Amino acid sequence: MNNRVVGGIGLALLAVLMLTAVFAPQIAPYSPYAQTGAPFEAPSRAHLLGANDVGQDILSELIYGTRNSLLVGFTSAAVAMTIGVLVGVLSGWYGGRVDRLLSKVTSFFMTVPFLPSVIILSTFSDSSVLSMSIILGALSWTGVARVLRSATMQIRSSAYVRIIKGMGASDGYILTHHVLRELLPLIAYRVVTRVKSGILSESTMSFLGLGNPVAKSWGSIIYYAQAKNALLTGAWVWWIVPPGLCICLVSLSLMLIGYSIESPSDRRREAEKA
Amino acid sequence: MRKRILHYGIILAVVIVVNFFIPRLLPGSPLKTLVGEEAGSMTAEQKMGVLETYHLTEPMIVQFAYYLRDLFTGNWGVSFSKRLPIAQLLTSAAGWTLLLSGVTMLFSVVIGSLLGALSAVRRRKGRDLGLVLSATVLDSIPSFWIAILLLCVFGGKLGWFPTYGAVSMWKNYTGLRWLADVLWHMALPVLALVITSLMPYFSTARFSVLKTLAQDYVRMARFRGVPERKISVGYIMRNAMVPVFTLLMMDVGYLLSGSVLVETVFSYPGLGVLMRDAVSARDYPLIQYTFLISSALTVAALFAADVLYAKIDPMMEDGHE
Repeated sequence: MNNRVVGGIGLALLAVLMLTAVFAPQIAPYSPYAQTGAPFEAPSRAHLLGANDVGQDILSELIYGTRNSLLVGFTSAAVAMTIGVLVGVLSGWYGGRVDRLLSKVTSFFMTVPFLPSVIILSTFSDSSVLSMSIILGALSWTGVARVLRSATMQIRSSAYVRIIKGMGASDGYILTHHVLRELLPLIAYRVVTRVKSGILSESTMSFLGLGNPVAKSWGSIIYYAQAKNALLTGAWVWWIVPPGLCICLVSLSLMLIGYSIESPSDRRREAEKA
Repeated sequence: MRKRILHYGIILAVVIVVNFFIPRLLPGSPLKTLVGEEAGSMTAEQKMGVLETYHLTEPMIVQFAYYLRDLFTGNWGVSFSKRLPIAQLLTSAAGWTLLLSGVTMLFSVVIGSLLGALSAVRRRKGRDLGLVLSATVLDSIPSFWIAILLLCVFGGKLGWFPTYGAVSMWKNYTGLRWLADVLWHMALPVLALVITSLMPYFSTARFSVLKTLAQDYVRMARFRGVPERKISVGYIMRNAMVPVFTLLMMDVGYLLSGSVLVETVFSYPGLGVLMRDAVSARDYPLIQYTFLISSALTVAALFAADVLYAKIDPMMEDGHE
């Protein structure tokens, strides 16, 4: 398959999901917080995916859930990318003592077990979108930093950079005008993968009951379904399958986009590092 | 070797220190943290008593000294939500988690890299698209969701596998019966974990075999008439497996995270379920020690993988960061 087609499909899917998030109040048949059906109601024409344990419409919950997932996905990716780009570029550009220190910090964060750390940090903080994003972002920037570090090192030693440096360009100028520009494709690919894993992590946190209990999220729908024993009653078909499919869909769309912008040389580097 | 011990030792030390400071720096009353909701019904004297038992009336540095002493003497206190010694809870949970993760890892590496190699070989015939596509789709599925679906279908609806725990309750099996019982309970959790952790091994093995296939020495061997079997095993597999081992090494830590989720779904009595229970009961001492033990296990596993890796690829010896 051609890269453009793959990327196009991914973008179209993502666009649909984003529109759903923005226009959730217009699209959803009911308010996801109102009791509009009987508790544990099976799917019917009035409630296409039935109702949950307190009689809220599951389809509406699902539509509103798009907001939380995308929001946490994007903000946590922003946090991770900010830290990752700063650490990676500074480490690769300055080398020496700066690099040694930053590499130590990076390898520390690589060793800390991800999920237990997420759990412990979120039990000791509130469950707002912002703190969730900061926790997730602060624990998932190491891959970005590693790749950008080695790419920056390559750029630094390239002939043209040495020439403009010799001509008296300042570090700040070269970094913002040349290094970052060259790194852009690498960064773009990583933004996409970070958003994807941010969304997965958000659903994981909500599934563990660590998310905001008031906000609707795909993970928390599954959490409540499991807590209310939908697993053994058959209600899982309309209560657990749809939110899971939504998570798969958004993650697949991002994966397709990522695949289409990832250059072959990047793929090779990735495989060699792995 | 000494450098490595130092590196992982420092990481462990930082984890121990962070674990001490997180609850002390974040807002909230330490009393509620220690005894849970019971704090409301206690008299002022009882409250003072609890604070003194845990040395919370002492200066920070003294508290830290007590923390270290208790940590290293195994004197971890009693969990208020489970009413059992924390050390005992953790030993049993860690055993189940290690079993689950170990078996999963074995299957993911073997199946993932075999499929990857197969896909690489097929690529030359243009028949690898199906494998690549299914691997991509599998990689976008959240592990807890696939675990729930397996539980619903094979545990609930069909009733082929148990839906709960690591061994049958109320039946004191011994010997082979016990082993069979453990394996039976492990089947679905392992399946869920393997499905969701295959992808990295698949793509790494695929890429690395593709690269090796194009190497001159492989072509040379074909020209010289070395038997095809010997080429694929002795030449290609041996060289293509080095990146897979690197991945394995980096993945050790991740696997523990994955098993936390899947355990939760199957109520498998490992560290994940312990942590989930501790979180929902707001049993902070238990949360903290579970975090500490899972971090220590991860660091130990990474250290072991690192040492092992140096044996496989001697070039790594000094290139270690």
